[in-house]
Amino acid sequence: MTAKTRYFLFGSALIFVVGLSIGVVAYYGGMPQSLFRSGTGPAELGYVPADATVVAYANVRDVMNSELRQRLRTLGGVTDEGRNEFKTETGIDIEQDIDEVVAWMGAKTSSGVENGMMIARGRFDQIRLEAVAREKGARIEQYHGKSLIQGPVEHAEAGHHGRSEMAVAFIEPGVVALGTQSQVKQAIDRPVGKNSITSNGDMMARVAKMADASFWAVGRFDAISSQAKLPEEVTGRIPPITWFSASGHVNGGIRAVVEAEAKDEEGANNLRDIIRGFTALAKMQAGNRPEAKALWPNVELGGDGSKVVSVSFAVSTQLFDAMTASGHAAKKLHK
Amino acid sequence: MPQATVPVPPLPVRQPAYGPHQAPGFMTAVMRIFDLSLGTMLWSRRTIFLGLVVGSPIALGILFRVLEVMGIGNVKVGGSAASGPTVFGGMIWLLYLRFIVPVLGIFYGTALIADEVDDRTITYLFVRPISRAAVLVGKYLAYLVTTVFVVLPSVVILFLLVVPLGHGSLAGSFPALLTDLGLLALGLAAYGALFAFIGAQFKHPLVTGLVFAFGWEQLALALPGYLRKATIAYYLQALVPHAMPAEGLGSVLQALFRDVPSPAVSLAVLFVMIVVLLALAGRIVERREYVLEQ
Repeated sequence: MTAKTRYFLFGSALIFVVGLSIGVVAYYGGMPQSLFRSGTGPAELGYVPADATVVAYANVRDVMNSELRQRLRTLGGVTDEGRNEFKTETGIDIEQDIDEVVAWMGAKTSSGVENGMMIARGRFDQIRLEAVAREKGARIEQYHGKSLIQGPVEHAEAGHHGRSEMAVAFIEPGVVALGTQSQVKQAIDRPVGKNSITSNGDMMARVAKMADASFWAVGRFDAISSQAKLPEEVTGRIPPITWFSASGHVNGGIRAVVEAEAKDEEGANNLRDIIRGFTALAKMQAGNRPEAKALWPNVELGGDGSKVVSVSFAVSTQLFDAMTASGHAAKKLHK
Repeated sequence: MPQATVPVPPLPVRQPAYGPHQAPGFMTAVMRIFDLSLGTMLWSRRTIFLGLVVGSPIALGILFRVLEVMGIGNVKVGGSAASGPTVFGGMIWLLYLRFIVPVLGIFYGTALIADEVDDRTITYLFVRPISRAAVLVGKYLAYLVTTVFVVLPSVVILFLLVVPLGHGSLAGSFPALLTDLGLLALGLAAYGALFAFIGAQFKHPLVTGLVFAFGWEQLALALPGYLRKATIAYYLQALVPHAMPAEGLGSVLQALFRDVPSPAVSLAVLFVMIVVLLALAGRIVERREYVLEQ
């Protein structure tokens, strides 16, 4: 073998190994998402309309594979009941079939219909899922070349007041959209990325901060408060908040950060005072029980001197163990 | 006066590892031919063709990336923009497995013996005290190393270029990449063995190979019944990890491939094919009398 051949083989192997190493590092979560990505956030954001007020994401695979979930499962805190029920109803096994989920919520339409959709990426056997849907009496029609599964005929004819008929569509290989019929159709019609939330600079600036989180939600606070129908006494006392976000990372325990953006610094300071008050109250209540005090999550209040108020905390596995144990004890007492 | 004779020491004789009258073993011969053929194959004019064929998907990937960065447009499947992993999956299936791998198999596999015949150099190989089958197997291994060392790195580069398009995730697609790499290596081995057999058996192997890959395989896959089982693509497509595009040409292909063998069956059949075809090719080369045109 000549030196030239050896150099060629070495160079080729080097490219191969470096490329694979990048993949391995990315796979095990050690690579900043922005390094090779051409956009911020998950790909499914391309299906979210630009005027969505709240966007949420969950890396189902991360959560399902997390040490925390396995631990809760062995302790009996997590059962397969709900998962099996969902599988029977839809044919989708959340644990095995779904990798990640993006959900969004928008302002109510003029006719008072709630606006929103869920987009799931994973491995879906379209033929089997369509067969399950047919068994349940769903209608399947082709809409612009995509299969659109609509709710049972009797539901559609009954015409639920204020609610639109639900639909499921396989919008691209491995991607399913679930929402109102009109929203799902719009998702099919809208070219991915065009007029999507990715063009909403305010929202995307906040989404960009969520890199590497197992789950997150970002939205305008007015949208949440109007949906939550909070009593006036509560809304009147909360300082005016424009944006909120929450993100968490799940593994052995949960690390979470909740941020709220007040209209001004004064509002942010008021909000911090309220949070400090609640934290102190909770600590005082736990103070009577030393074991509970030891397990209390370490809450950090941040964002001093700015409009943003952040609360971060980490919940350890010990706390979950204690909660599960007390749950079991309560059940025994109940029996 | 008698001259004094100075004893002359005998010249050192380089002893071959296998003894002066003993032919090298089959594997030793295979490795010798592999070593000889690798450099020849790698630096032949065919490598320019290989570079062009393998470089075009990378150029396409760079183009997609530039278009997205400039905001000019994105790749569309069935009228709607597709994410990076979908585009990558489509390129692996349609460009690599259905085009590049068979083409490389044809151009290199059919030439393993045919080139030596055309260049009238086959005699130099066949007069050596080694099995003729070892010549074929050694050249086949050289083909495999040449193509694998060019195709697989290009796929890794393409992965890094294309998968991040449209918010695609490298981490999410990485397991599929590993399957793709294994699949491509297996495809190169299977097509190489098939075309090595065709090269040994048929008079015009290039034409026969092209007819097989782009005539018979396409036709047999489209026809209902058992004919598709006489193709390599039928077994390879069962191992493809990517979901096919939902409409258009992809949808048609998916509908055609609904009846797929299990991965275990596909792997077993492909391995058997490689061994049987190489054995057949070796047997033909052993028995055939090559008459060189003057």
